[in-house]
Amino acid sequence: MKYTHLILIGLLLFITGCNQSESNKNNAPDKIVIGISMLSMQNEFIVNISDEMQKKAEELGAELIIVDAERSPLKQIEQVESFIAQKVDVIILNPCEYEASSPAVTKALAANIPIVNVNSATKVQPTAFVGSNDVESGRIAMKFIAEKLGSKGNIVMIQGLNGQAAQIQREQGAKEIMAEFPGLNMFAQQTAEWDRAKSMDLMQNWIQSYGTKINAVFAHNDEMGLGAVKALQDAGMKDKVIVVSIDAITDALQAVKKGDLDATVFQDARKQGAGAIETAVKIARGQKFDREVLIPFKLLVKEDVDSYLK
Amino acid sequence: MHYIKNLRQYGIFIVFSIICLIISFISPQFLTVSNWTIIITQVSINALLAFGVTFVIITGGIDLSLGSIVAVAGVSAAMLAHPDSYPVLVPVFAGLLAGLLIGAFNGFIITKSKIAPFIVTLGTMTIGRGLALILSNGRPVSNLSEPFVFIGSGKIMNIPVLIVILVLMFILCSIILNKTILGRYIYAVGGNEQAARASGINVTQVKMAVYSISGLLAGLAGILLTSRITTGQPNAGAGFELDAIAAVVIGGTSTTGGKGTIAGTLIGVLLIGVINNSLDLLNVTSYYQQVVMGIIIIGAVVLDSLNQKSNS
Repeated sequence: MKYTHLILIGLLLFITGCNQSESNKNNAPDKIVIGISMLSMQNEFIVNISDEMQKKAEELGAELIIVDAERSPLKQIEQVESFIAQKVDVIILNPCEYEASSPAVTKALAANIPIVNVNSATKVQPTAFVGSNDVESGRIAMKFIAEKLGSKGNIVMIQGLNGQAAQIQREQGAKEIMAEFPGLNMFAQQTAEWDRAKSMDLMQNWIQSYGTKINAVFAHNDEMGLGAVKALQDAGMKDKVIVVSIDAITDALQAVKKGDLDATVFQDARKQGAGAIETAVKIARGQKFDREVLIPFKLLVKEDVDSYLK
Repeated sequence: MHYIKNLRQYGIFIVFSIICLIISFISPQFLTVSNWTIIITQVSINALLAFGVTFVIITGGIDLSLGSIVAVAGVSAAMLAHPDSYPVLVPVFAGLLAGLLIGAFNGFIITKSKIAPFIVTLGTMTIGRGLALILSNGRPVSNLSEPFVFIGSGKIMNIPVLIVILVLMFILCSIILNKTILGRYIYAVGGNEQAARASGINVTQVKMAVYSISGLLAGLAGILLTSRITTGQPNAGAGFELDAIAAVVIGGTSTTGGKGTIAGTLIGVLLIGVINNSLDLLNVTSYYQQVVMGIIIIGAVVLDSLNQKSNS
């Protein structure tokens, strides 16, 4: 037992020692230190944003501390608290949730550390926001469906995790457009939790109940869009049903190229990541910056995808 | 008849039949061959996980690392399954090996350290998830070869390969548990570990075996999932262990060990699959789906325990 205590004390000393050396490094003159808390490094799109941040930071000579909140708003708040304690110059937040991640913004502002939200919003206004308006992506996708169907037909919608900002806004955008086209009919809507396998199961079940009456599918992200495509292909129905989804991940671009997926809405991870770092560096250097940098979405069909496939 | 008398999940089988009967009245699409083909393909992955963890739970243990094993095996297989790289047996073997190794690691730590299986497998669950992310750089591994994709979406004599694998594994697991010495030892260890040891059973070996079987089947499930969705996803399988454990418990396996059958587990798996399928057919919103599913899990187990009490 004596030894366990000794080991514990040793560990504690070691940890505090590490922290000190880290904060010393942060105090080095004129290198801007940016603390970044990302939603989830298990998501390809978020990993892409983070990769672009690193590239841009190297270019601008900023030092990044990137941590993964693993989709937990609580963890995210703790990470921001530790950034405040480390006295970073700017914090970049990729919020887990609209409401629950807001305290992180409040805390940073209270400690006089500027905070930039990237990709999605929080209820509390940060120093600056870099991202896209998700309502717009829903509108773009549904407009494409309306055009393809000649303004009338039956649609099913596969939703993201209910309650997340992206799900709420993409649904809102889609419904706005549907209201303009009374000939469009929402047959069914259900969550597949952003997951390809779950979306495939859901689509199979819908094919059982509605069969060939389904004319189009709108999926809130590409993973789910690809799951729906697979289910439709297995049922031999893909050529009769239009599928559109959002994000333009590599798999989806390939599927659009092959003609499996009809369109994907491109959300620019590169510009979002680079834009966030640019804004953060401007703020740290006391230069003029835009409080809101909106990166537009773009609809990609077969003819467009080649230049996006690396 | 003797066989049926041995089925402890007699009660759950009745519950299952009643639920199917009710649904078939509400939804005309429910009792069709095409719908049942879909239900059975959809449950095949959960079934393999549930079969594996049935062995573990009968010995009184638990395996929480299943979902992570699915991811590691899936990503490992996908990385070797690109077209024109290796013959299809190589990725399949790699996936199975990954599952077997993690399962054996679980068994090794549990038997050598005497730490509760709950804690050990909780640890490997996190380690496995990390490994899957490291292997794949946090990105899905796509572009898989035709023969590999065939496993998840192909058909043999008009029967989906997934169903063929499910049936084979069901038979194999039932034989191991009912007809082999290992099977008898597994029940003995779960019934009373001290007594089993005293009567000369090598408890360490039995436990190593059950965790290895569980890992191996989870590895197979990972291969099937990857092939079915044509991509190896590092975040695949999160939470799968809970569905598998729920199916085992619904199927009448006692969480304290010593009791349980593969047939019961299969009914548990099918019950969950039927409920998911029918709630989608009836377009019940997902909020209600979760509540309904929870009620049915608890209800099924309560009914089963009442049934068992009245039998004894």
